[in-house]
Amino acid sequence: MHSTIVRGQNVFGFFTTVCFVVAALIAASDLLAPRTPKATVAVKDLQVVRGRPHYYSTKKEEYAIIRFSLSADLSSLFSWNTKQVFVYVSASWPNSTLGDAGKGEMVNEAVIWDTIITNPSADHLQNIGPAAMKKLVRSTKGKTIDPSRGKLELKNQKAKYQITSPDGKLAETDNMVLKLHYNVQPWVGVLTWTPQIEFGSWKKVKGGISKAFKLPAIKAKKVVEKKSA
Amino acid sequence: MADQLLDQVREAAEGQIDFKGQELAELLATILLAAVGVISFVVGFINQDIKLALYLGLGGTALTLALIVPPWPFLNRHPVRWLPVGGVEKKSQGIMMDGQVIA
Repeated sequence: MHSTIVRGQNVFGFFTTVCFVVAALIAASDLLAPRTPKATVAVKDLQVVRGRPHYYSTKKEEYAIIRFSLSADLSSLFSWNTKQVFVYVSASWPNSTLGDAGKGEMVNEAVIWDTIITNPSADHLQNIGPAAMKKLVRSTKGKTIDPSRGKLELKNQKAKYQITSPDGKLAETDNMVLKLHYNVQPWVGVLTWTPQIEFGSWKKVKGGISKAFKLPAIKAKKVVEKKSA
Repeated sequence: MADQLLDQVREAAEGQIDFKGQELAELLATILLAAVGVISFVVGFINQDIKLALYLGLGGTALTLALIVPPWPFLNRHPVRWLPVGGVEKKSQGIMMDGQVIA
């Protein structure tokens, strides 16, 4: 510590140690915050149509268009260390082609809808226009965390993504269910997904799975032929 | 003249402090930084505000750097007293008379 440079090095060196320890404490503080999400998912409307994966494709696939209702309370996922929560709804169904060898059924799963919920501390990271950003920031003025953003009420929500299966066949698929998943992205620490086991004060999602349903047959083509010369 | 000026500049840049000052600087830096870490975590946790924790940590560290790095006078209060060259005062030429240094 005899000269300016040595003092600067020493202070900065210990600063990095303090940083690391504080970051570890912040990450560990997440374990103290109970996570008790609950949700109900219900299918509202189902449709199967035929379409092309892209404009120049000669292959036609079957796409499921799903409407659903979601009522979720994820407010317990928002603590001071939460940057954002990624919420997504998937459709899953048993895979008849891979379920052999007596190893139980394989499951196909595809995401049909998702959203990002930011904590107020991460609002500036949202990729939205200036007007929407202003509104978002003003909605939680003065608050550092806003658990009420974790409450979702979707009624007859249209899916963002139309899904198909690897073999392109989806009509009349039975035993399909919708599931709610989430992914908590902290400021410091590890990403955590929907837990499959109870872990301390982190509980599994209460509900969050719809009743099994069966997709309808392909929608008949409308017989409205335009007269083109 | 130029040499003297250069020496002064070098001294200011090096910012040497005395031994007692070094001990004090080491102790202060450790205590202050640790305290800043604890305070930023606790205050951030209580207010549930991670940005507050970040800014407290960075601000406290900046203050610590400002307090420790420059050679402040309080780190130089015990300068080392060197013995005179050859065991006698520099001005003296060591001429003795009757057992006493006279010049």
